Amino acid sequence: MRVWVTLLLVCAGCGAFEFHPYELRGPHRDLHARSLERLSAAEPKPAFRFAVVGDMQLFLDDSAAAMRDLEERGVDFLIQMGDLTEFGSTQEYDWGVELLSRLKVPFFVVMGNHDALGKGQKLYRRTFGPESFSFTYSGTRFVFFDSNSREYGFPGDIPDLTWLKTALTPEPLVQNTFTFSHVPPGNGDFDDSLVEPLVKLQEQKGVSISFHGHVHRFHDVFAHGVRYVTTDSMKGRSYVVVDVDGTSVRVQRASF
Amino acid sequence: MAGHGRLKASLLAALLLAARQSRAEAAREGSPWYVPDHAAMQLAGAIGFLSAGPGWSFRDDTVEAAFLLGWAPPALAGEDFLTFTMKGQWRPFRLDAAGWTVRPLTVGAMLSYTVGDDYFAGLPSRYDRGYYWFRTALRPALLLGASAGRPVEALNLRLVEGYFELVATDYRLVQFVRNPATVNVELFTLALGVKLRF
Repeated sequence: MRVWVTLLLVCAGCGAFEFHPYELRGPHRDLHARSLERLSAAEPKPAFRFAVVGDMQLFLDDSAAAMRDLEERGVDFLIQMGDLTEFGSTQEYDWGVELLSRLKVPFFVVMGNHDALGKGQKLYRRTFGPESFSFTYSGTRFVFFDSNSREYGFPGDIPDLTWLKTALTPEPLVQNTFTFSHVPPGNGDFDDSLVEPLVKLQEQKGVSISFHGHVHRFHDVFAHGVRYVTTDSMKGRSYVVVDVDGTSVRVQRASF
Repeated sequence: MAGHGRLKASLLAALLLAARQSRAEAAREGSPWYVPDHAAMQLAGAIGFLSAGPGWSFRDDTVEAAFLLGWAPPALAGEDFLTFTMKGQWRPFRLDAAGWTVRPLTVGAMLSYTVGDDYFAGLPSRYDRGYYWFRTALRPALLLGASAGRPVEALNLRLVEGYFELVATDYRLVQFVRNPATVNVELFTLALGVKLRF
């Protein structure tokens, strides 16, 4: 009986009741807005460093190890490249957020195809904010968008190039532009008819690096005037560290 | 003397058993197998805020099956969720004391189906075979729990039983097995319920 009472208490103490796996409940809301607040409140740095972390899915223990490793690297913020979850469930969103919060720096999460499952899209918006968003930090523009075309049955506007065009409009004082989306262009899950327009747009607008996840394998290529960097999944025990100093950008693959 | 006492005790036990069995049989007498012998109502457990439905028990209530319809309202879950659940349970032990019947261990499994266009039970055609290895509309789960009940003659109920269940859904189990350090105690959520046995 004592065992049952203990188990009951353990359950009661940790959000014991689940009404549905995709319930829109829980403490995490608008985390991107909060991360942006923290970034803009901090002293602007001419030189800064951020980490780009790949798919976490079923590799949460590996992700925890990545966070421990990242503590040594002195990053100013963190970007997770999507597939934070495997099933897109509320609980997995919470686990993912809890893991990313272990590193005491602001973080951003791209929406992956797994994160959109079930009520995932709504969960994502509730937890983080809109899938398409951008901000400028210390003269570098960060642009995030949804490229999970197959997940929505290739509707023709995923990725949303109209939005992207506006987001990539050159601004004074912006020295570098980076884009972030889960599925890399050219992958079978990326809308075939939008590959060329996207690649051209990124070239035209002077994007320096286009970051991706999804394929679970580190990749670093230069094509059509843009560098395309794809991260390992966390199972691959590596992530990417980017150092920006003015117009100088250095990308390093860090294994842990 | 000791032998006599033992004989008396076993005779008593046999009589009690017979009485209970005859009562159980009497309750079902004339009812076809598909007429449920209990009804359950449950709070939480990943199948709705509230769920309710009929159940059937066999072998002196040690084996049972239930069918539940669950609902979670937008006010509590952020969205409407409608879920059908099939549950199978085994309750091997029974303790009787002071008018209470306690089942200290319940092990079981359930499979739930969530209604709606946002979920799939078969892989939609936009995916290649094996693209996702699970189905978002179908949710298997393992159950671990206990119950205690007593008869309520005023309502003509054989037993009114309260129960709790620790529910380990598929994604919790999979993540727990793969990531024991991270997932840890969050393998389970809690369900509370009441069963009325006719």
